[in-house]
Order: sequence, then structure tokens, then C-alpha cells
Amino acid sequence: MELLVNNIQKHYAKVTAIKDLSFKVKQGEIFALLGPNGAGKSSLVRMLTGFTSPDSGEISLTIDGEKHASIPSYTLGYLPEDRGLYPEKTVSKNLLYFAQLNGVNKNVAIEQAKYWLERFDLLDRFDAQLKTLSKGNQQKVQLITAVIHQPKWVILDEPFSGLDPINQEKVVTFLSELKAKGMTVILSAHQMAMVEKLADRMLLMNLGETVLYGTLEEIQQQVGSTTQLTAQFCQNITNDQLEQQFSKAEYCLIDNKTFSLNLSAQQSINDALSKITALGDLTALHSKAIDLHQLYLNAIANHGALINE
Amino acid sequence: MNNMTKKQQVWLVTSWEFMHFFKWKQEIISKLILVAIGLIIMLWQYVKDDQLTIYKVAVPANITQFQNSGQFEFFPSHDSFNKLKQQLAEEGSWDAILSEAPTQEAIKQLTIYSKDKQSWLNDLEQTLNQQYTLQYASSLGLANEQLAVLNQAAIFENKYLDDTIKSESSPGKSTAIAMIIILSVGIFTSFGQLFVSVTGEKQQRVTEQLYACMSPQTWIDGKIFGQMLHAIKAMFTMIITAMLVYAFTAVVIDNQMVDFSIIDWSLLPWLIPFALAGVYLCTAFMAAIAAAIDDPNHSAKTSIMLLPLLPMILALITMDSPSGWALSFLSYFPLTAFAAMPVKMALIDLPLWQPLLSLGLTLIVCFWIRTSAGNLFKMGMSMYGKEPSLKDMMVWMLRKN
Repeated sequence: MELLVNNIQKHYAKVTAIKDLSFKVKQGEIFALLGPNGAGKSSLVRMLTGFTSPDSGEISLTIDGEKHASIPSYTLGYLPEDRGLYPEKTVSKNLLYFAQLNGVNKNVAIEQAKYWLERFDLLDRFDAQLKTLSKGNQQKVQLITAVIHQPKWVILDEPFSGLDPINQEKVVTFLSELKAKGMTVILSAHQMAMVEKLADRMLLMNLGETVLYGTLEEIQQQVGSTTQLTAQFCQNITNDQLEQQFSKAEYCLIDNKTFSLNLSAQQSINDALSKITALGDLTALHSKAIDLHQLYLNAIANHGALINE
Repeated sequence: MNNMTKKQQVWLVTSWEFMHFFKWKQEIISKLILVAIGLIIMLWQYVKDDQLTIYKVAVPANITQFQNSGQFEFFPSHDSFNKLKQQLAEEGSWDAILSEAPTQEAIKQLTIYSKDKQSWLNDLEQTLNQQYTLQYASSLGLANEQLAVLNQAAIFENKYLDDTIKSESSPGKSTAIAMIIILSVGIFTSFGQLFVSVTGEKQQRVTEQLYACMSPQTWIDGKIFGQMLHAIKAMFTMIITAMLVYAFTAVVIDNQMVDFSIIDWSLLPWLIPFALAGVYLCTAFMAAIAAAIDDPNHSAKTSIMLLPLLPMILALITMDSPSGWALSFLSYFPLTAFAAMPVKMALIDLPLWQPLLSLGLTLIVCFWIRTSAGNLFKMGMSMYGKEPSLKDMMVWMLRKN
């Protein structure tokens, strides 16, 4: 059971939200949608949930021999980007309402609600009005709403937003547990460290297009960079100087005296160092493996540059 | 796995919607007040029947004497006026004393003394006036029949060539007006609450979460039924309240028996389906408009939501000419039929097919507006913050679901 997305496009009036996008999500994996604001993630999510349909291309998911053009509601758990519940109602009433709407028996729903509330240290707020909870805790209740009916497919749009680092870690654990329970999770997020820990595979989008797609290792291979050197000089350096030594895609000028350089596994660090020292007197030099955050920044910058050209 | 049927989901949304605006404490208090009023009326009637108060009125022997009536006993007295006043003030022997000023005129000048202001003093005045009238007629040598002619010289009756129009004495008009008022109360209730409910959920960003669980049509259906239940509750409460107020006025203030023949109860089997269809139609219409409103504070469409009150206003305006073209047109026009046809039925006799046709047309439009509301909500969701124009709305309403 795979979710297949083939060459979909979506336009809103004169704006192209999604441009010829293709990917697949395997059952039981955590799949991350990454991209800057306006990349088209929410438009894509709304097509996956069936709220809207692609103008062209196809989304397909076959369940028990029946083909669907989106993830059907009876198997979907969803945390929307525009989220909210009923603030005047209690936590339990909110959770039970959505659980029952999704076909869960009331007693089972109470059990599930208590189980998940305990996992998020919110069991003592079971009968509290939702509006009396902090924003972060409301966000956790909303997350529980998305999974209380134990769906096969879960789509979480920005599950980490509004949460402090401790609660972000709790969400990481929560998502791992969903995966362990056999749920397929599609999430969009900006917290690269969290995504790096969680996601089996990912799709990096920009301006409605695929920029990078695959596992973290596959993406690193696609980019070709594995190491990042950061060099700081006594004197100012310019783009012109850097361009004489490196290609535009390789470096990034951080400030007047500092720049970073991405190296692929095939590139020699010695050669790179020779070129760096030729630029002037160094005051500092750092080396680290490129993380998802850096890959993301580089990929978006390069993609933007390509589009502009 | 969601094994809920659409009907179950609609029922769940309906009960959620109803309970969202149903406040147990207020409901219990208001119903207890109604019960208390009812009990007061019953007790009052019981006490009055068992212990009808007779008021004793002292009449100085030198003035006109009166015959006892049901409520008043008149006692001729030879005591001085001052002594009578003392008996009234201190001993309580009398409830009132009469004093007549000497005059040459036919019109008498009478003063009624009592300890304080009492409601029965008006009845005493009426009784005395009647007796004076009879005495004066007798002094003129008029027979009772002649006096009756003087009081009402002519009796008027309207006869119409259109023999379907019910007689003036029938309770049709009061029934029609009562129905329109009650319908307006129901529609006002669902109008206010539905607007708050739909736009509130949009503002609270809960709609997308709901959309993930069920179809827009299911959600809209639940909303409509939930608010319909509120409208029915409001109408029922209104009927009970109106009956209690009427009974209170009749029994406690006017000292009469409760008489509900002012309502044509034979119309009830027709009024109920028309009222239900009307409330459904208006609630569905309001749901459709509210579904297209993104921000209630800045939407020009809010005023359109008052349109459902128009049928009631038009029915009231045209009811004076029940067989005229205006009320006839409104009785079959599906958007106004629910208010106009019951009015027409209350005022003139109609063959069975006419209300049946009117009800049928109303139900068809109900179904269309309900589907349109679902379409509007679905399309409104896809616009994400941008409010649809009236043209967009019309296109979506005409689109098949």
C-alpha cells in the first residue's frame, strides 16, 4: 500500500502552487515534506487529504483493492496547518467528539484519550476547558485529536510549531510511537533537527517543485556535499575572490570575513585548504559534517539561484 | 478505521450543535418559571372558584338604592355618613361607602369611598353604571328591548361572493398571526445561533479538522438539524409562554375562564409540516450564506442572512386580501410558501391539492438549498481566506454535488 503522486500540478488563479511534482510514500514510514514558506507544502497536503484536487496529474492510494484519489477520510488522521478546536469545551469533550466522528466507540475513545493525555502529561486536564490550557498544551491536544482513532495514515502539518524544545522532543517520541504502531506519517516541518531524527525519507520542495527527494543519505549523494568548512579571515574577502577559487554552488559568504564551503566525498580537503589559504590570513577554520539544516539552506539557495537565472 | 455511517455522523454533529447552545441551568430555571406561572394560574382559578369574595357596600338611605349583584351586596344605612366612614376605616364593616352629590342633571355624580385602591373598584363602577342606566331607562318608560337598541342600533356582518373566505367569527386570522409570530421566533433563534456557530468554527480554525472526518454535506446537515432543534425548542417555549400569559391575563386580571377557541386547532396538522419545512429552509439558507462568510466582522453578506424573515413580513402584509393575487403567488412561490400558505389556509377554505402542492414545492427547494449549502461550504474551504463573490456563490449553488 503506497501513496503514489505522479506529475501533479495545482494553480490558484494566476499562482502556480504545485509544478509537476512526483513522489511516493511507503506504508509505515515517516515521510517529511520540507520547504520554505510558500513552497507548496500545504497545497500538497490539502490534495493528499482530498480537500482539493490536482489540476493535472494523479494521486493514487489503493486500499483493499480499491483505488482512491486521495487518502480517504476513514483511514486519515490530520493535523491541519490552520488548526483549532472548541475552546469553550473541555479537553475530553473535544477529544471524544472527534474520536466518535471517526467511528470510535465512546468507551474506547475515553481509554485512548486518557492514554495519549498521560503520554503528554496532560491527564489531570482531562475535564479542563480547552481555553484554560497553554498554547503548547492545546497543540498537544490537537495532536491527540489527529490520532485518537488510530488511523492508518497520519498527516501532520507543522506538528512542532508553538512547542518548546522539551515538548518538541515529546512530539518526536510521539511520532516514533505512531510509526511503531504501524501508522504511516506524513509531516511538514521547519525543524530540521527533528526531521533528521525522525524521517525515513523526505521531499524538499521550493516554489512548487521537487528540489531533493529520498533518504537523508540519498539526498546527501544528490547534493554531493558531505563536509562543510567554515573559514574566517583577518581581512575582508569578496565574492569575486571566492569565485576565482570555487564554484558558486560550493560556497556561501556568511559575512565580510567569513564564508562556508561544502565539500563532496570526492573532493580533497588538502586542495580546498590550499585554495582557502590563498585567499588570505586565517583566524579560524572549522570543519563539520553537513546536516539536514545546511543541506536545506544550500539546496533552497541553489534552486532559487537557478530559477532566477 | 471509521465505520460510522453518514447518518450517524449527522446525528453526532446535530447533538453536538444542539448541546453547544443548550445551557442546562438556564433551561431548567426558565422552565421552572413557566411551571410556577402555570401553577399560580391553576391555584388562582381554584381559590377564586371556591372563595368568591363578596364586597359589602354601604348606601346611605337618602340616595338611589341598588340591587345586589354577584360580586357586590348593597346595604341601605340610616347611620350618618361620618359614622359609616368610621365603620369603614376602623371596624371593617364595609368595603366601600357610596355618596351621591345632589344635582338637577340626569347624569349622577357619585363618590365611592374605600380604604385604599383596589382592583374590584372598577367592577363596582361598571355595576353601578349599569344599574343607573336601567333606572334612567325605566324613568323614561323605555322597555329593556328599547334600551338594547339604544346600546347597539345595528349589527354588521360581511358577506363575500367568494364563498371560500372564512367567516369573520372564525379564529383564522388570530391563528395566522400567531403562526407567523411563532415562526419568526424560531427563525430568529436559528439565524443568530447558526451564524455564530458556522463563522465561529471558521474563526476557531476547526473546520479543516472536521473536514478530515466527514464530508462538507454531512457537517452542514448536522448544523442545520441541530439549529432546527433549537428553533423548534424556541417555538415550543414561545407557544407555552404565550398560552400562559393569555391564561394569566384571562384568569387573574380579567376574571374569565381560559378559552383557547381563539385558535383554529383544526389547522394544526398543516401548520406543523409547513413550520418545520420553513424552519429547515431558512436554516439551510442561513447555513449556506454563513458557510461563505470568512470574517463576520468584515463581510457584506451578513445582511443577506436577514432575508429569511421576508416571507413572514410579506405574509403579514398580504393577509388582508387572502384570495388576492399577491398572497396566492406567495403561497406557491417555494421560498415564501411556508409562511404564506398557512396564512391563506387560515383565512379561506382551500382544496387539499393546493397546500399539498405548496408543501411539495417547499420541500424540493429545501433539498436544493441544503445541497447548495454543502457545496458552498466545500468551495469556501478551498478558497482559504478569500471570500467568494455572490457570482461565485451562485455558480457553486447551481453545481451538482
